[in-house]
Amino acid sequence: MTDTLIDDPALDKLLHRTDAAHPDAGDVAIQNYTINFGPQHPAAHGVLRLVMELDGEIIERVDPHVGLLHRGTEKLIEYKTYAQALPYFDRLDYCSPLGMEHSFVLAVEKLLDLEVPARAQYLRTFFAELTRISNHMLNLGSHVMDVGAMTPNLWLFEIREDCLNFFERASGARMHSNYFRVGGVHQDVPLKLLTDIGDWLDTRLPRLFEDAISLVADNRIFKQRNVDIAVVSRDDAIKWGFSGPMIRGSGIPWDLRKSQPYDAYAKMDFEVPVGTRGDCYDRFMVRVEEVRQSARIMRQCLNEMPDGPIASLDRKVVPPKRGEMKSSMEALIHHFKLYTEGYHVPAGEVYVATESPKGEFGVYLVADGSNKPYRCKIRPTAFSHLQAMDMMCKGHMLADTTAILGAIDVVFGECDR
Amino acid sequence: MRAPAPAYAADLNGATIAAARDALGTALVDARDAVGEVALFVTRDGLIDAMIALRDTPGLEYQQLMEIAGVDFPDRPERFEVVYCLLSLTRNHRIHVHVAASEETPVPSVTGIWPVAGWLEREVYDMYGVLFAGNRDLRRILTDYGFRGHPQRKDFPLSGFVELRYSEEAKRVVYEPVQLAQDFRTFDFMSPWEGAEYVLPGDEKGALPEAKGAPTQLSADQIQKADAAQTAKATATTPKTTDSTAQTGVGKAEPDAKPKPADPDVLKGKGEGK
Amino acid sequence: MSMSSNLHSGPVELRHDPSGQAIVPPDQGFFDGLNGELTDKGFLVTSTEELFQWARTGSLWWMTFGLACCAVEMIHVNMPRYDLERFGAAPRASPRQSDVMIVAGTLCNKMAPALRKVYDQMSEPKYVISMGSCANGGGYYHYSYSVVRGCDRIVPVDIYVPGCPPTAEALLYGIMQLQRKIRRSGSIER
Repeated sequence: MTDTLIDDPALDKLLHRTDAAHPDAGDVAIQNYTINFGPQHPAAHGVLRLVMELDGEIIERVDPHVGLLHRGTEKLIEYKTYAQALPYFDRLDYCSPLGMEHSFVLAVEKLLDLEVPARAQYLRTFFAELTRISNHMLNLGSHVMDVGAMTPNLWLFEIREDCLNFFERASGARMHSNYFRVGGVHQDVPLKLLTDIGDWLDTRLPRLFEDAISLVADNRIFKQRNVDIAVVSRDDAIKWGFSGPMIRGSGIPWDLRKSQPYDAYAKMDFEVPVGTRGDCYDRFMVRVEEVRQSARIMRQCLNEMPDGPIASLDRKVVPPKRGEMKSSMEALIHHFKLYTEGYHVPAGEVYVATESPKGEFGVYLVADGSNKPYRCKIRPTAFSHLQAMDMMCKGHMLADTTAILGAIDVVFGECDR
Repeated sequence: MRAPAPAYAADLNGATIAAARDALGTALVDARDAVGEVALFVTRDGLIDAMIALRDTPGLEYQQLMEIAGVDFPDRPERFEVVYCLLSLTRNHRIHVHVAASEETPVPSVTGIWPVAGWLEREVYDMYGVLFAGNRDLRRILTDYGFRGHPQRKDFPLSGFVELRYSEEAKRVVYEPVQLAQDFRTFDFMSPWEGAEYVLPGDEKGALPEAKGAPTQLSADQIQKADAAQTAKATATTPKTTDSTAQTGVGKAEPDAKPKPADPDVLKGKGEGK
Repeated sequence: MSMSSNLHSGPVELRHDPSGQAIVPPDQGFFDGLNGELTDKGFLVTSTEELFQWARTGSLWWMTFGLACCAVEMIHVNMPRYDLERFGAAPRASPRQSDVMIVAGTLCNKMAPALRKVYDQMSEPKYVISMGSCANGGGYYHYSYSVVRGCDRIVPVDIYVPGCPPTAEALLYGIMQLQRKIRRSGSIER
């Protein structure tokens, strides 16, 4: 810059020539601006709309708009019998359908005070863990994809594809299995399926999974995008109602499978991974470790699973098998009654929460003694996590939003219901 | 408890109720232990103090607010119940706290105690219209922008009042009153001998003193009077159908809704449209 | 015009043998002739209609409009096992660049204006595949107060894929049906 002194205030301003009398000469006042993220955005994990106030590229405020997938599930459930309401739970968190069913069947069983045979409990535990693996495959894959890596996602989806095949072999449907029923599970699994899953747990799963994770876990770029992003302290995690990998990422060893065991979890031997810093990277790694622990639980289930009935023998709740109906008049009557009228649940109210892959998924069920729920309030996991977006995003760059969203593991089917 | 539901420290239920009685004092209206769960009923005015006591008193320590659920009981004088589901991480225990409310009486907001309550209260407001005093961001959250009504109320029809369509003329998405091609079919499964409230066709005959022409002590005009009384009563009851709009949950058509235009592809039946 | 009448560069329809069972592989002579034509003259002659159809069916870039459950199957069809990209169908995140919108999931009232806006932003020719029961007609949520009873109330639909959710294979088949439809009714202005 040649300093030939031209007396031009505009030039002064451009060249930032300031003096003591006018220290703010040359400063340009800029305004925060608001941008709209979504509702159609590939990194929004569905139909999220974020209204963000930015100072340059720094996020000042986030106002998430949810409800773009509000389907009125809770209202519809009030108009359906208990058996008809169950498939709605598959469709809540469509990445982990069986985890959602689990809460509902446990809630109804609690109201009915219904005993569930051991094999059914093991099968439910087993498939709930398979669901956890398939859910984490989707989340880990899309998280790394949101921060720029493509390959791990392709490999992890291969595992997911295997999981869906197993679900299909057990229940007949790839995704919306409707497999857990009040009193047990829908039908027994063939032995070959169990041995196949056992082989898969020993060979294909570790190979594909460890390969894919080795690409990102120590990757410098991945760490730059995730370490120290959206740090949540223990106190904040409690105040904001966090659960699941989010609260464990913040360093609180809280896992409902351990602390409030349901089904066969009390007999299972597994560890609860906990984060140390409470950032996105910790949440990612907690999920990675949970996959390994889930595989461990599944192996134990395979080893210990007893023989026996796969659903309660209480014929006032669980319909008989078709073969039985061919010869027994009573079975036929039960079948007819259960598939038209359904069973009546005694009046009462329960809040039953299970450790779904995303966190605490609860069902607050009010029964009035009829065959339909009086009120079924669903406690979604993503709702409270998403609410904390504002708290977590503040002061971060715009590009970190996708990493934070990915680490929340949000699915709008359950968030919006 | 035979069901394999989550086994938290349910043996603490009794101690919890005792501790809550001490800590909450007059704010506690009722405490129940049903189906293995503790339900505390709290007065609306004492809610904030009760919640702080539940969070901070040693021996209660409910650090986390997991859920706020609304329930609608249209028969009650204060028709709504707001249910706070609390979790203690240290004692491994859950309770729910119930507060009654009506459309006009606001419930004090607990956002000052747990920030997570912000959206949970917004949802209850959206679904039921319960107001929360002190919640500074009480907007609708789940329903459509510009939605009217509170869908989870028991008197809100299942299919709502409006539906959407893209209008080629207006070149935008427009709202119209709901018109269903087939009504939602709902059945009640009350068996006639277990307290059904409607009169089955033919049942009204049993209410008459005697079949006509049967030997009786009554005079002719007494029978006629009884007949008239019974038949009037019988016709007043509604028949058992699911076709009325109140039962199907369909919104009433707009009063000025025009009749459907005739479908040119449908042939008119005999005697129709003449 | 040296090209014989049976030579064309359009998509080759696989023919079946007279019994209707086995697929007759395309005549090797066809490829040899085409190859000879190209090496001899350096260009091929075809009709514009066939050229357009070839271009449209061969690069059906789809708009990633994942709404709900079906979106997961939509991702699955794009992943290595089913590998949709071998049909030239690649996911695009921008409506300006995409040719086909797959409406995957329940369309809710709150989302409908956004869906229409995205559709309006797509460039012609554009196609819509309605995936799953909810998008087809409301499905399991038909009677809900907040659900659009079929996405064809909002956008014109070319192909309906049934299922709840349709399997990845079903969506793949739907995309092949769309290619078929384009071939059958292709013209310049669509």
